[in-house]
Amino acid sequence: MSLNRLQTHTGTTLDFTFNGKAYQGIAGDTLASALLANGVNVVGRSFKFARPRGIFGHGAEEPNGIIQLGSGAGTVPNLKATQVELYQDLEASSVNGWPSVNYDVMGIIGAFGRLMPPGFYYKTFMYPKKLWMTYERFIRKAAGLGATPVEADPDSYDKLNQHCDVLVVGAGPAGLVAAREAARTGARVIVADEQSEFGGSLLASKQAIDGLQATNWVASLVAELRACNNVQLLPRSTVFGYYDHNFLTILERRTDHLGLTAAQGVRQRMHRVRAAQVVLATGAFERPLVFAHNDIPGVMLASSVSTYVNRYGVAPGNKLVVFTTNDNAYQTALDWHETGRDVVAVIDTRSNPSGDIVAAVKAKGISVIAGHGLIEAQGNQRVKRALIAPINALGTEVTGPVRRLDCDLIACSGGWSPAIHLSSHTGAKPVWDESIVGFRPGESKQQERSAGACRGTFDLIGCLAEGATAGAEAAKMSGYGEGIPQFPCSAVEEFVEQPQQALFLVPHIKSISRAPSQFVDFQLDVSASGIELAVREGFESVEHVKRYTALGFGTDQGKLGNINGMAILANALDQTIAETGTTIFRPSYTPTTFGAIAGRDVTNLFDPERYTAMHRWHVEQGAEFEDVGQWKRPWYFPQNNETMQESVNREGLAVRNTVGILDASTLGKIDIQGPDAAEFITRMYTNSYLKLAPGKCRYGVMLKEDGMIFDDGVCACLGENHYLMFTTTGGAAGVLAWLELWQQTEWPDLQVYFTSVTDHWTTATVTGPNARKVIAKVCSDIELSNEAFSFMDWRDGTVAGVKARIFRISFTGELSYEVNVPAHYGRHVWEALMAAGEEFNITPYGTETMHVLRAEKGFIIVGQDTDGSMTPADMNMDWVVGKNKTFSFVGKRSLYRSDSVRENRKQLVGLKTLQGSDVLPEGAQVVFDAKQKIPMSMQGHVTSSYFSASLGHSIALAVVKGGHSRLGLIVHCPLADGRIIAAEIVSSVFYDPKGERHHV
Amino acid sequence: MSKSIKLESPLHYFHAALNRKPEPVKSPAGALFNDEAEYGLVVKEATLSAHLNLRGDGSNAHFCSEVTEALGLMVPLTPGTYQRNGNTSIYWLGPSEWLLVEIGGDAEELETRLRKTLTGHISIVDISGGQTCINLRGPGVATVLKKSSIYDFEAWDNATSALGRAVQTNFAKASAIISNKSDGSYDLVIRRSFADYVAQWLLDAGEEFGCRIEAEKE
Repeated sequence: MSLNRLQTHTGTTLDFTFNGKAYQGIAGDTLASALLANGVNVVGRSFKFARPRGIFGHGAEEPNGIIQLGSGAGTVPNLKATQVELYQDLEASSVNGWPSVNYDVMGIIGAFGRLMPPGFYYKTFMYPKKLWMTYERFIRKAAGLGATPVEADPDSYDKLNQHCDVLVVGAGPAGLVAAREAARTGARVIVADEQSEFGGSLLASKQAIDGLQATNWVASLVAELRACNNVQLLPRSTVFGYYDHNFLTILERRTDHLGLTAAQGVRQRMHRVRAAQVVLATGAFERPLVFAHNDIPGVMLASSVSTYVNRYGVAPGNKLVVFTTNDNAYQTALDWHETGRDVVAVIDTRSNPSGDIVAAVKAKGISVIAGHGLIEAQGNQRVKRALIAPINALGTEVTGPVRRLDCDLIACSGGWSPAIHLSSHTGAKPVWDESIVGFRPGESKQQERSAGACRGTFDLIGCLAEGATAGAEAAKMSGYGEGIPQFPCSAVEEFVEQPQQALFLVPHIKSISRAPSQFVDFQLDVSASGIELAVREGFESVEHVKRYTALGFGTDQGKLGNINGMAILANALDQTIAETGTTIFRPSYTPTTFGAIAGRDVTNLFDPERYTAMHRWHVEQGAEFEDVGQWKRPWYFPQNNETMQESVNREGLAVRNTVGILDASTLGKIDIQGPDAAEFITRMYTNSYLKLAPGKCRYGVMLKEDGMIFDDGVCACLGENHYLMFTTTGGAAGVLAWLELWQQTEWPDLQVYFTSVTDHWTTATVTGPNARKVIAKVCSDIELSNEAFSFMDWRDGTVAGVKARIFRISFTGELSYEVNVPAHYGRHVWEALMAAGEEFNITPYGTETMHVLRAEKGFIIVGQDTDGSMTPADMNMDWVVGKNKTFSFVGKRSLYRSDSVRENRKQLVGLKTLQGSDVLPEGAQVVFDAKQKIPMSMQGHVTSSYFSASLGHSIALAVVKGGHSRLGLIVHCPLADGRIIAAEIVSSVFYDPKGERHHV
Repeated sequence: MSKSIKLESPLHYFHAALNRKPEPVKSPAGALFNDEAEYGLVVKEATLSAHLNLRGDGSNAHFCSEVTEALGLMVPLTPGTYQRNGNTSIYWLGPSEWLLVEIGGDAEELETRLRKTLTGHISIVDISGGQTCINLRGPGVATVLKKSSIYDFEAWDNATSALGRAVQTNFAKASAIISNKSDGSYDLVIRRSFADYVAQWLLDAGEEFGCRIEAEKE
């Protein structure tokens, strides 16, 4: 049996290690309760002064027990020991404390704590600025912010989208009865609680409800809820964010309690909840008292001491002093007394505590010292004694001699602070209420209400009543029930509490600035004197003081320290707490793993990969792939250890000399039908389609309103009032949306419908001098002669037994047939074409060769040679602009702006390097004078650049200022490696300038 | 067309894919699927079918009655619904847009039938090659849908054999037209180019239940 484990508490023994030392706990323990059971005093070091710190709380508020769980890839930093459920072979270490928690080099700095006032980091480490990186590494290591794993996370996380009528946050007394009332109406209810068991404060309570012991009452209510099929219970689930439109996020820890390696399935699941109504029943945090050296291990919250005793069977010490401003903490004296260990005294700041519970404590023979403050704790790695002294009624001064009380545990309570965090997330401004000495949730903009302790109602009977009302009301507002609680009010016996005293800083015999540190925020070592100093240095706003002192910046988000800190600030500013206000809580309520936020959208599921019908054929041929939008397109088809350039040379020459085949299925395709289709298309493209006959195709360029090229492609007339528009691969969805936008918002009078057919058709482009011969072998019902089926025609026919549509469009400059079949037949037709082309050495080629071939012809690629600032004229494509169309077209007016017509715009030209083997890098800048001093006058840049095997030298497309009138000029491209490559401005059409090859 | 023509449905390469040998699933809903109760999620791809995109004016009674005449089916005018007659379903996609699916049907024959009857400003587009219909069933379906879509499917009324609910929405990072069936299962119409992604997503999402993908038996 461990040192501090009560005999009455038994269970399965679990082995674990902490900072390399082996211990034993009991199933049901948290790491914190197990450490306390083993008498581990120091669990970490403070952030700034490296003071030894012990477990202080028992839940999300814990500021000190910040630990690193596990090691290797699965290690998790910055967990709170109070929230980590113990499992067999758990392995944990302190995140603070370097090199060890017990002997700490930073302790030297701690000894000079006064040399590190608030703003210390700003004042000391920010200058000189260039050294910050050096300082930061040291500070991080010294402060111990935990270590992130360097390997990939081995765990799996996922997300569920949930919808419910009533979401109940918190399964303490108020939450449970709220859920019961809502469930009864038939509403869909979700109950989320961050602990492993439902019950909240009742789990550590000895009260009786409806004649049952509190834990049994909880068990029966939970069983009742579990039996309802309209109720979803989520234990180990923290609601960490409350966003607009009643959208809340829950982190469910599914396997963390089983250990890091035992995990099967998802470790954590994020629930994204859209709730019609929300009941917040998040409870309250006990407020610590601020006295000198209140951070020594052995000082704890009163409710935490009770929780360890009652719930975990752990008495974390031997001789207890209770220090309180209220009746509530007297319960801790009773609970401790029950363990048989010594209650030294209850120190009460009130001059005449007179409640029933005070009498009950006195009746046990426990000494109650009223009108006193515990002004200082003494000890090093554990409390050894408390100094107490009489204080005045306002609690501002010590009024009598100091006495010493030997003890090893101080349980303190300054009252309770409602957990208003989630309410604050909604934008509700917390309201200070003197009667509860705390902030209540403000008026909310969301469909939510608070119930119980988080609303400032601290008695159990009140919590139960409020919970029932809130549950019934929430159900009604989501359309269920009458809004009136149906279950009878539970019978509860409890002490009626007398008023508490509002005390946020316990006076010392010395002034604040001279007294030993009175800690407000343990995690970041913010003391009362630090807050006062910030005020003396001129900070007034609570938001500024927060940032200057770091109050509330830790991973506990100031759950314990904030109220005391603000009250001390208010006092220093000589104003009320209401006037001072509070900082606003934001998500996340507790730290949330990135894994859960990413969910399954990782690795192969991170982004969809879109495949064509021939994808597997390409894979089987060993193709390398290129990402084009979400599509995977074959990039090149290497053979026999070819380099990419060797493949591209071979593929390109095959197209020029015999025949090649390209998977062009990814091009966007939009079917357009309606009596006004031609008119509509003519308004969208720069040229006219009014006279395009069935069986014919035309190339067009689409502009945005600013006159700049947005997309290009071929449009075919399929029949009367029926067209097929091709778009770029990446532009398909954008073009369809663009067409719909103009039709729906500008020209609803035009009768035309658009339908995407991109996925329906698979396209195999057969191109090269032998293309006709290949097609002829698999297609017998189309007259293929150049006279019968010319360039820019299309025909219906049958290819390899499949109904197909063939277009004579060419992006290579060679004789080309684009064979389109419904995608189910895609691979069949592709393989038939490959077989038919075998005797001509038909060569599959990828996007890289496609780019080279089109660049040889000077064909632009929108998005590569254009960047959203290029007009058709800039691209030397004035021929595609129909200037005499009856109706205007989108972007026309902008083509005549002064900027659009000015000379010296960047214009598309070809560049031919003087050394044919030099291939310019794409993006290279063009200058006219290579000897000009830096900064040089940039005259343009290279947009496309390749080595052309057909031509035997490199080719490039570039946009150069006034380029169209500078043909023949020698320009220079200075490169990052210091070389300067000279090139001549030439026509952008390098190959077959008369366009004879595709007209055969 | 010749028998030697090889057809590949969008999920062709996933038929008979399993993510693992699953634990037996004990769920009341499992009883519905005795032959494969051990799988919590069964994804079945329908045979190749006729898919037509239909555009027209839903507020024009004439148009609606013509569609009914051609198909023996009401045009669903309520957003988020579909109508079904045997193998033919018509899904509402928008005030002027519907998806017509005839399981195992011939798109050309269906289009001809419609074009014969329909008059006025309409559009009929064969998109059969671009999508496929998959059915999701088993006790894991509800959870898998929650993983994949933000839509609230639990709020739907049960479907009958003649009508039900349908929504075109995001499915993971792809899109799908999702509808309910009278047997409690769900139909998804997904796009061909996203089919591999959706199949991998479903195998992953269904892993905790045990998942298999299969083809409709001809």
